[in-house]
Amino acid sequence: MNAVRLLIAFLTLSLPALLPGSSLARPPAPVISEVSGTIRDGEARVRFTLRNAFTPEMVEALKSGIEITFKTTVKVERVHRNWFNRPMGQVEYTRSVRYDALSRVYRLHRDDGDELLPDVLAALDRMTRFEVVVPVTGDVAKGKPHWARVHARLDKVGLSEPLRSIFFFSSLWDVETDWARGDLQTP
Amino acid sequence: MTAPPVGRISPRTGEDAAKRRRERWAIGIVAVLVAVLTFFEAHLAAVGGSVAFSSNIVIFALINLNVILVVLLIFLVTRNVFKILLDRRRNLLGAKLRSRLVLIFICFSLIPTVLLFIAATNITTTSIKSWIGGRVGQALTGAIEIAQERLEAQALALSPAAGRAAAGLANTVDPSSFPRVLESARSLAPAGTALLFFDNNAEVAKDGEVSPTVRAEVLKRVKAVKGDGDGKQTLIGDEFAAAWRRTPGGVIVVAVRPLPPPEAARIREIARAYDEYHQVRLLDDPIRASYIGILILITLLIVFAASWMGIYLARQITVPVQLLAEGTEEVARGNLDVSLDYRSSDEFGTLVASFNRMTADLKAMKGNLEETNASLTRTFDELRRRTQFIETILHSISTGVIVIDRHGRIAMINKVAERLLRITKEGAVGHLYREVLREEHYEAIRGLYREAGEAAGGQIERQVELVVGEKRIAFRVCLTALRDDAGEYMGLVAAFDDLSQAMRLQRVLAWREVARRIAHDIRNPLTPIQLSTERMQRKYAATHAEDPVFVECTQAILSGVHTLKGLVDEFMRFARMPVLRLEEGDLPGEIHAIVDTYRSSHPGIRWEFRQEGPPGVRFDPFQIRRAVTNLLDNAAAALGERGSVTVTCTHDEAAGKARIDVADDGPGIPPGDRDRLFEPYFSRREGGTGLGLAIVSAIASDHGGIVRMRDNTPRGAVFEMEFPSRLPANGSIGSGAPGIDDGRRGS
Repeated sequence: MNAVRLLIAFLTLSLPALLPGSSLARPPAPVISEVSGTIRDGEARVRFTLRNAFTPEMVEALKSGIEITFKTTVKVERVHRNWFNRPMGQVEYTRSVRYDALSRVYRLHRDDGDELLPDVLAALDRMTRFEVVVPVTGDVAKGKPHWARVHARLDKVGLSEPLRSIFFFSSLWDVETDWARGDLQTP
Repeated sequence: MTAPPVGRISPRTGEDAAKRRRERWAIGIVAVLVAVLTFFEAHLAAVGGSVAFSSNIVIFALINLNVILVVLLIFLVTRNVFKILLDRRRNLLGAKLRSRLVLIFICFSLIPTVLLFIAATNITTTSIKSWIGGRVGQALTGAIEIAQERLEAQALALSPAAGRAAAGLANTVDPSSFPRVLESARSLAPAGTALLFFDNNAEVAKDGEVSPTVRAEVLKRVKAVKGDGDGKQTLIGDEFAAAWRRTPGGVIVVAVRPLPPPEAARIREIARAYDEYHQVRLLDDPIRASYIGILILITLLIVFAASWMGIYLARQITVPVQLLAEGTEEVARGNLDVSLDYRSSDEFGTLVASFNRMTADLKAMKGNLEETNASLTRTFDELRRRTQFIETILHSISTGVIVIDRHGRIAMINKVAERLLRITKEGAVGHLYREVLREEHYEAIRGLYREAGEAAGGQIERQVELVVGEKRIAFRVCLTALRDDAGEYMGLVAAFDDLSQAMRLQRVLAWREVARRIAHDIRNPLTPIQLSTERMQRKYAATHAEDPVFVECTQAILSGVHTLKGLVDEFMRFARMPVLRLEEGDLPGEIHAIVDTYRSSHPGIRWEFRQEGPPGVRFDPFQIRRAVTNLLDNAAAALGERGSVTVTCTHDEAAGKARIDVADDGPGIPPGDRDRLFEPYFSRREGGTGLGLAIVSAIASDHGGIVRMRDNTPRGAVFEMEFPSRLPANGSIGSGAPGIDDGRRGS
C-alpha cells in the first residue's frame, strides 16, 4: 500500500513536470499591490508590495535552509491616451533569502547589498517590500501621466546539492504575479 | 516488390522484412536513447554544479524526450504483442507458439523485475524514513547545537577583551590612540584574536589580522545589531566567533577570532548536513516519489526491453517452425515444388535444409512414380484396348467362348456363351467354373479337357448335346488348352457353337427342295388327271348321269386334284418365296386392317390391336400381310370359338426395330413342340399343312428379322416377329434362311 501511495504521489508530481512552467503545488494567487513612486531627473523610484508570495510550504522550506529567490521586473512608461505608451526604462531586480541555521540569521541578498535579518518575519517583510530605482531615458513631461508596471516571479529554489540531483528537472513551486500598474508622480 | 518464386516460402516478403528491420532498428535506437538520456540526465546534476536545473529548458526537453521515447518503446512493444495476439486469433501458423514464448519471456522478465521493483521501493522508502527519522535528526540537531555552543563559548571568551577595548575607547578622544587601546585590550584575548572598531557601520581601527571575508561577515552582522542585541553580545559563524560591545558613544568594538580552517570545515559540514536533513524531511514524499519514478522508468525499460527481446527470440524460433509448418502443409497438399528460404547455421537451419532435401527427393521420386504410372497407364490402356477389342470380337461372333485360367476360374465369357449356358458374366467371371457351370456342363467340359490334354496340340473339337433350360441343344465344342512358351499350363478356351439353328436351316432347305420336287412331280400328272376326268364327265355325262358311282368318283377325282393343286401351290410358295419388295408404309395401319377383318370373321374372339411408336416402317406389305394372316390364323385355330387375341405393333425408332406381337390366351405350345414349331410340315392341327409358321419364319428372315415364340401370361402363347424398320447400311436384307428364334436368342 505504501508503494502504491508513493506511486500515485510520483505520478501526481511528475505529471506537471511534462508541462513547462508548472509547479508541484499551486499557492494562493500572488499579487503585486501598492505600486507607486516618483519619476524625476533620469530615474524613477518605484515602490510596491508583493503579497501572497510565500505559501506556508515555502515558509517551512525557508526555515529548512532552502534559498528562495524572487525576480521582479519593473517597467516605466510614459502614458499616451491615444497612442502606444512609450517605454522609458526597465530593470530586473533579484532578491533572495536563506536561513543560516548555524548563525540563526536570515541572509537576504539584494542587488544593492546583503542584509542579515534576525527572524523569519523580518525576512519575509524584506522579501515583499520593494523600492526600486529605474533609470529612465527621455524627458519627463511634467503633469503628464507616467506609470510603472511591475511583475514578479519565483526565480529559483536553492536546494542542497543532493536534492538538486533529485529535483533538477522541476521547480518546487510556481509563483508568478500578473503585471501590476501604478502611477508615478512627476515633479 | 518482387514476388517470391512459385513454391518458395520465405520468412516474409521483401517489404515486410524491411519493415521488420526498420522496426527492430527503431526499438533498438529507442532503447539505447532511453538508456543514454537516462544516464545523461542522472549525471547532469552532478556535472552541472550550480546550474539552475529547475529553470533549464534543456532538462525539460530531455525529460520529455525520454518520456516520449519510453512511450514509443511501449507502443512498439505493445504493437508487436497485439500483432501476435491477432495472429493467434487468426490461427496463423506459429502464432500460438510465438505467443506462448513471448508470454514466457515476459513472465520471466516481468516477475523478477516487479519483485525487484517492489523490493527496491520498500528499501528506498525504508532508507529515507530511517534517514529522516528521529535519531538522525536528533544527532544533526545535537551536532549543530554543540557547534553553536562551542562557538558561543569561544565568543564569550572574547567578551573581556571586547569590553576592555570598549571601555578604553570610550575614554580615548584622540583617534591615534585607538590602536594602542585595542592592542592593550587584545592582550586579554586568546591568540589569533583581532579587535575591530566600527563607527557608523564602517571600520575605524583594528588590531590583529582577520581575513576579508570574515571582516565583511562581521561587518554585516554588526550592521544587523539593533540596540544592545537583546543582551546577547556574541556573534558566531562558520568561520569565526566574536564578542562585541557598544561604547557609550555608540561605536561598536568587536573581538573576533577566526576558526582554524579544519574546524571551520567541520562546522560547515555539520551545518550543510543539518540543512540537507531538514530539506529532505520537508521534501520526503517528492523525494520518494522521484526515486520510485526512476525505478518505474527502469522497470518499464527492463520489462519492455525484455518483452521485445522475447518477441525477437520467439520470432527467431517460430519463423523456421512456421516455415516448416507451411512447407509441410504444402507438401501435404501435394505441392512438392516448395522450398523454404531460410539460412541459418543453427539446428533450425539444418532442419530446414533437410526439409528442402526431403522435398527435392520426394519430388524426384514423385516424378519417377508419375513416369512409371504414365507408362503403366499407357500399358494398361493398351491392354484394356486390346481386351476390349478381344471382347468386342468375342461379343460379335456367334460362337460362345469361355476362357478359364490355370486356377479353374472363369476369366472371360462372351454374351453368346452367357446365353447358351444360361449364366451371367457378373456371376461367372472370377469364380471357379465348376461352381458356376451346371454339373452336366462342367462334366462335359472336364471330359473334353481331359481329352484335350491327351490330344496333340492340346486342342479337341467335339459335338455334344447338352440340356439348356428345358431343351437339349447340340453344340460343337472346341476346347483348347493354353500354354505359354515354356509349356506351362495357363488355362483353357472353350468355344461353343449352337448347331440347332444350322441343323434347322439344313432341314428347312431340305424341306424346300423336297417341296419343290414334290410340287413338280405332283403338279405334272395333276393336269392330265384333271383334264381326263373332266373329259370323262363330259363324254359320259349323258350315259352315266344316273350312275352315282361315276359321278361321285369323278367328283372325288376332281376334288382330290383340286386339293392336290392347292397343296402343290402351298409347296411352291414355300419353296419359292417371292422376291422381297420393301417400301415405306404404314405398318400399324396394314395390321389393323387385317385385325379388323378377323374381328368380323371371328366374332367370338375378342380382337385387340395396340400401336406403339410411329407408323412409318420399310416393309413388304404383301409378305407382312401374309405373315400376320398366318399368325392370326394360328391364334384363331388355337382359341376356337372363344378367347382373346392382342396384336401389338411396336416401332422403336431409336433402335430401328419394328415388332409385331400376336398374343393369345389359348392352350399355348407344348414344350416338346417348340423346337419344330417353325419347321415346315410340322402341325398338330388337323388339316394344317405345317407351312404357316415356316412361311412366317421365312418372311421374317427375308426382312432381316426373326420370329420367336414365348409363353403368354397367364396362359397362351405370344409370337413375336421382329425386323429392322430401316434399311441396313449395306442395303441388303434377308439371308434366305428362316429367321427363327426359339427363345434361346436374347430378346
